[in-house]
Amino acid sequence: MRALLVVLALVLSACSSGGGSGKTTIVFWDNNGGPGRTPIYEELIKRFEAANPDIDVEYVGIPSSSVQQKYDTAIAGGSTPDVGGVTTSYLAHLVGQEALVALDDRVEGSALKGKLLPSLVETVRQTAPDGKLYSVPSSGNMDVIWYRTDWFTQAGITPPKTWDELVAAAQRLTDPAANRYGYTIRGGAGSVFQLLTEAYSYSGVAEFFSGGKSTVGDARNAELVGKIAALYKKATPEADVNNSYTQMVAQFTGGSVGMMHHNLGSYGDVTKALGDRVAALPLPVGPSGKRTVVPNPTDGFAVFKNSENQDAAWKFVEFLTSKESNSYWNEKVGQIPANTEVRDAAWIASNQPVKMALGVLEDPATVTVPAPVYLPQYSSITKTDSEPQYQKVLLGELTPQAFLDEMASKLTAAQKEWEERR
Amino acid sequence: MRTKRWAPYALIAPTLLLMAVFLVYPIASVVHYSLQRYNVTQPWKNGFIGLENFRVMLTEDPLFWQSLVFSAKWVVVEVGLQLLLGLVLALIVNETFIGRGLARAMVFSPWAVSGVLTTGIWILLYNPSTGIFQQLAEWGIGSPGTSVLGDPATVFPATVVTELWRGVPFFAILLLADLQSIPNDLYEAAAVDGAGRWRRFISVTLPHLKDAIILSTLLRAVWEFNNVDLIYTLTGGGPANQTTTLPLYVARKAVDSHDFGYGSALTVAGFVILLFFSILYLRLSKFGSRA
Repeated sequence: MRALLVVLALVLSACSSGGGSGKTTIVFWDNNGGPGRTPIYEELIKRFEAANPDIDVEYVGIPSSSVQQKYDTAIAGGSTPDVGGVTTSYLAHLVGQEALVALDDRVEGSALKGKLLPSLVETVRQTAPDGKLYSVPSSGNMDVIWYRTDWFTQAGITPPKTWDELVAAAQRLTDPAANRYGYTIRGGAGSVFQLLTEAYSYSGVAEFFSGGKSTVGDARNAELVGKIAALYKKATPEADVNNSYTQMVAQFTGGSVGMMHHNLGSYGDVTKALGDRVAALPLPVGPSGKRTVVPNPTDGFAVFKNSENQDAAWKFVEFLTSKESNSYWNEKVGQIPANTEVRDAAWIASNQPVKMALGVLEDPATVTVPAPVYLPQYSSITKTDSEPQYQKVLLGELTPQAFLDEMASKLTAAQKEWEERR
Repeated sequence: MRTKRWAPYALIAPTLLLMAVFLVYPIASVVHYSLQRYNVTQPWKNGFIGLENFRVMLTEDPLFWQSLVFSAKWVVVEVGLQLLLGLVLALIVNETFIGRGLARAMVFSPWAVSGVLTTGIWILLYNPSTGIFQQLAEWGIGSPGTSVLGDPATVFPATVVTELWRGVPFFAILLLADLQSIPNDLYEAAAVDGAGRWRRFISVTLPHLKDAIILSTLLRAVWEFNNVDLIYTLTGGGPANQTTTLPLYVARKAVDSHDFGYGSALTVAGFVILLFFSILYLRLSKFGSRA
């Protein structure tokens, strides 16, 4: 009986992959295509095709800034890829449009079973309303403070452990006449996402919602926003109010800024420009001393429902997240490997930022506070609505508390709607 | 007899077809979406909602009014200054002098640069640590690290100057072409009658340019109202929505928030406003009535 089933499965899979005649072609969308990452995927695809001569992978690199729009258009037009890179920041959005295949069973029946970092798997599951796994996590990311080791040595100060120390260090390192600023604020596109991770790391508030109400407006969160806003123009460049990622990193790598809050994703950019004059710190803690981390969006691979070659697509996903590929990929981009078998790889020991981030994530005292990226309105509330408001805070036109309260009430309403729908 | 009846229709059919495809259909579809709740992040809520989008827009959305006021200010300042400077440049390069060909080429060249590239150039010029203001600070004028695009007090003039750089040549080209069609005898006759330079400009040049000025200001006003590329890439509408025009707000709502229904309603509002002002402007200025 069992043998019969296996034979049947083989026949079926042979049929689905083009009847065995010729090659199967699958399309893969890289959600963060560019000179940094494209060559890494090209190498991995070459290895995959060598191991699977009957499958051709067509690589399409899409800039991260427009990828969500590209997916929307593709879903509307029925032209989705077979496999796509997705992060949890828009995973819920894709799941909501019923574009993806749940991969729980596939993972269970593969070599990946039990090999994926539980915290990342959990982050992916929390994103979907039904708690299923719609993407196989490949990399973990964490918010860090990149800092200039040489500036700190010169000034004779130690890297900050608390936000108050960071504020003091920022002021200490600032010298506008020499075009030197202690810190840089992301005031433009992407600002609020970062600001919330800063606020929660300071306040130690362990939940995004308490009794259905958003905790964003917590007075301790507002305190932190006030501290950061007070640095604007005093210990940061004036241009910061418009800073998106590109400008922010350009200031840091250009040598006019001493500390920058971003995540491991900028590892390549900052180490290429500054070499060993840069290192990473975890986000500082607040007066409570508790370490609360708002997890960064988790990168992973999804299989699209429209794919006619889901078996081949899965094979590729499995390959990309296997020990060897996952190690290769994360070493190149400097992120936390999702495959736990990679933990003992030699490169991790010599990579300060990744080692530091792993240490924080493994520390039992660390509390993770997942942001409600599953809310359909999350991006609209935190980006379109709130980013200009944060600029008002920086310019002194709005108080931190009023700013956070407005955002909190919108999040509370969205959460309520989501609960009701669920 | 029979051919006569359908022949005219057959002849205008291609025009009507093109208008239907490129004008009627897009406009109708935007109007259609403006009456819907249509947001791809919440597809289960999509559907007909009547004038709800317009009610929210008119009564609950301060940013709509703010962006509208900014758009009006932007159009008036941009078109006014571009016309003035364009006219001055056109008059200068209409004179005969050595190197006129080169001067004309230089006057017109910014027009050939795309909005995004223009922004690229000016972002570098405005760069607080390497641009003109850093240079000025080194000479003792202003303070180092001045970011004109980050300061609410200077972001408007800085954006205006950038768009002026690109827009002035449009007026210069159009007005120069019209200047060259003014018969020289008119000036000679005026000179014989004792008219000075200024009098000749007021009584001969300006009346002749009237239609060109009306048409170019109208075209430019519509373009400036719809300007997205330059402002979006230069300031992103910021800081704190200080430079958000109505179309930029539409882009944010539709593209960033995926709220296509509301974005369509905003677009319809912009369309109606432009249509109304265009008709009013042409009526008041008696366009084409030069007898």
